[in-house]
Amino acid sequence: MAYKISERTLAEIDRLLKIYPQKEAVLIPALHEMQKEAGWIPEEAMDALGARLNIPYARVKGVVTFYTMFNRLPMGRFHLQVCRNISCHFAGAAGMLRHLEDKLNIKEGETTEDGLFTLSAVECLGSCGTAPVIAVNETYHENMTVEKTDRLLAELRAENNSD
Amino acid sequence: MPKLTIDGKTIEMPKGATILQAAQALGVYIPRYCYHPSLPVSGTCRMCVVEVEKTAKLQIACATEIADGMAVRTDTPAVKKARRDVLEYLLINHPVDCPICDQAGECFLQDYYMDHGLHKSRIAPGDKIRRSKRRAAGKYLTLDNERCILCTRCVRFCDEVTRTGELTVSGRNDASFIDMKEGKGVDNDYSLNIADICPVGAFTSRDFRFKARVWFLKKTGSICTGCAAGCNIEVHHNEGIVHRLMPAPNPETNTWLCDRGRMTYKVLRAGDRLSKARIKKGSMEPEPALRQAAHLIDDAAHRAGPESVAVLGSPYLSLEDNLAIAELASGSIKTGALCLDFSCEQGVKDGILINKDQTPNANGLKLLRARYGGLDQNALIGLINSGRIKLIVAEARALNSLREKLRDLSNIPTVILALAKSDLDFDSDCVLPYASYFETEGHFVNYKGRIQKTAAAVAAPEGVQPLWLVLSKISSYTGAPIKIEDTKAMSAKLSEYALGKSVIPAICKPGSIAAKSTRE
Repeated sequence: MAYKISERTLAEIDRLLKIYPQKEAVLIPALHEMQKEAGWIPEEAMDALGARLNIPYARVKGVVTFYTMFNRLPMGRFHLQVCRNISCHFAGAAGMLRHLEDKLNIKEGETTEDGLFTLSAVECLGSCGTAPVIAVNETYHENMTVEKTDRLLAELRAENNSD
Repeated sequence: MPKLTIDGKTIEMPKGATILQAAQALGVYIPRYCYHPSLPVSGTCRMCVVEVEKTAKLQIACATEIADGMAVRTDTPAVKKARRDVLEYLLINHPVDCPICDQAGECFLQDYYMDHGLHKSRIAPGDKIRRSKRRAAGKYLTLDNERCILCTRCVRFCDEVTRTGELTVSGRNDASFIDMKEGKGVDNDYSLNIADICPVGAFTSRDFRFKARVWFLKKTGSICTGCAAGCNIEVHHNEGIVHRLMPAPNPETNTWLCDRGRMTYKVLRAGDRLSKARIKKGSMEPEPALRQAAHLIDDAAHRAGPESVAVLGSPYLSLEDNLAIAELASGSIKTGALCLDFSCEQGVKDGILINKDQTPNANGLKLLRARYGGLDQNALIGLINSGRIKLIVAEARALNSLREKLRDLSNIPTVILALAKSDLDFDSDCVLPYASYFETEGHFVNYKGRIQKTAAAVAAPEGVQPLWLVLSKISSYTGAPIKIEDTKAMSAKLSEYALGKSVIPAICKPGSIAAKSTRE
C-alpha cells in the first residue's frame, strides 16, 4: 500500500518550503509532523517525503537514522523512556529499567504484545536535579522509585481502559 | 598569490588552494582517505593532518586554505603519531580479511599501515563489531560494511557526480554505516567508479571479484570503443586475459568511465566470440575461408558487374579497417556502391560522459568519406532494396544498424565480418572473424574530433587477424590486391590518405595517456 502524506502535513510542508531557502531544511519539521500523526516513521513515509521534496530517499533515511528520536518501528501507546545517563544511573535508573523489563516482560527497545508500552533507555533528559527520570511520551515523571514506577504503570493501564 | 613553505620547500599557489593541493604541486605526498580531487571536500578521515606553525592543533591539509607566510610540516613526530593513531582507530573494527579481499594490493589501509602504522592491534578479533558482508549493491557492486572506513567518497560520488543520491550514511557515530534503500542498489550508469574510488575493500566490483590478484595485472593504456566519447582507459590483463577496464583520467576526455564502457571487454571471452570463420553454417579456419569470401566477390562481380557488389564502412571499426574497406571497394572490386555515411547525432547525453552516438568512430568515417566519397546511406539502401545489389560486404553491426530500412536480406549473399555470433541478427553464408581493439591497434576519432589510438593488450585467438589484413588477403585472392600487407604499409596509407602526414604523431602518443589513476 502506498503511503499517503496527510493533508495537514502537506500543507505544513508547503508553508515551510516558502520560508527556507533550501528544501532539505524542511525535512526535520516534516518528519516531526509525520511522527506526531503515526507515532513512527515507516520506510514508505521516507519514500513519500523524499518524492514530495524531490530529495533522494537515501538523504531522508540518513536524517531519520541519525536522530535517535525518530522512531522507525511502531510504538506502543505509552513510550516509557528511562534515562540512563550518569545522574539517573547513580540514583538507581539501572535497577528501574530492569524492573520495568521484568514487569512488562519485554526487553529494552521492545513493545508489549498488547501495544500499550514501548520501553527505551535514553540519553540525558535534562532533568538531573530530579533524577531518576522516566518520560512517558512527552510527560516527565521525576524522582522515580520502584514503587512509584508500579503505580505509574497501573495509572497508565487505567487511563487506557477508561478511553 | 600566497606563498607558503611545506617541509622547507617554498611554493606560490593561487588564493583558495588547500595545503594538500600545494603539497601535491610540490611533490610532497600527504596520506588521505576521504579527499578525492574530483569530489567535494568532506574532511572526515583525519588522515591528512599536518602541523602548521603558530596554530595550536594539527590541521587537516585537505580543508585548510593556504595563507601567505604559512609554514607547514608533514614530518614532525606529532604528525607521525596522529597518522598512526588515526590508522589504529580506523582499524579497530576492520576485519583484516585481506587474504579474501579483492582490494588487497591496491588498498589504502594496507599501504598506509605499512607506511605509517605498523602498530599491534589492541582489539582481539572476537571483540570486533561485525557488520553485513557481501551485500549486493546494484548490478555491478558488492558492499562489505565491515571493511568500510566511512570516508563517504561513495556517498559524495552519488550526490555530486551522478546526482542520483542512492547512498547515505545511516545511523550516527560508532553505529553508522553506508546504507541504501532496502531492495534497491546503486543503479546509475557510473556505479563501478565507486569501486575505484573506494579506498578500501568496502565497495568491490561484482564483475572483477575473485578474478585476479591485482599485483599480477599488467596495464595497457588504450581507448574505450563503447561510444563516441573516446574515453581513455587502462586495460588490466594477465596471461592474455583481460580482467577489467579502468579509466585513465585525461582532462580532454574523461575522469570517470561508464559501466557500459567497462563491460566492452566482455566480447573477448564471451561464449559466442568468433574465433573461426563460418562458411554455410560450418566452422572453418579463418585462412582458407578468405578464399571462399574472395570467390563470392569474384563470382558476383563477374556475373552482374562490379557495381552489383555493395561495400559498407562501419562506425564501429577503426580508421585502419575502414580504410581497407574503402580501398577494397574502390581499388580492388572497383564498385561505386561504397557507403561510408553513418553519421548520427552526437553530444554528451547525460551531462557526464556517455555520448548520444553509441558508435566510436562516426567522425573517422567522415574523414575517409572526404577522401573516398561513396554513396549516402539512403542511396545505398535504395540500391539494395531495388535488387540491383547481388552481394554485400559489411561489418555485422553496421549492417544491423540499417536492417530496419532494408527489405529481406535472405536472397542477397553477404560477406560479413563479425566479432561475436550475437552481432549477427541475420543469416550469412560467409562470416569472417577479426581481431578486436583489445587485440590490435586502431585509430578512432571521438565526437570532438580527437584522434586516438587503441593498443593491443592481449593476443587475438589463433588465426584471427586485424580486419584490414583480412580484407587485404581477400583482395589478393581476387587478383586485385589493395597492397596493404603490414602495419608499416597501413600507417603509410593512413597518413597519406586519411589523416595527413603530421596528424597521427602530434595528436596521439600511444602509451602516454595513462597519466594518473582515478583511485587517487
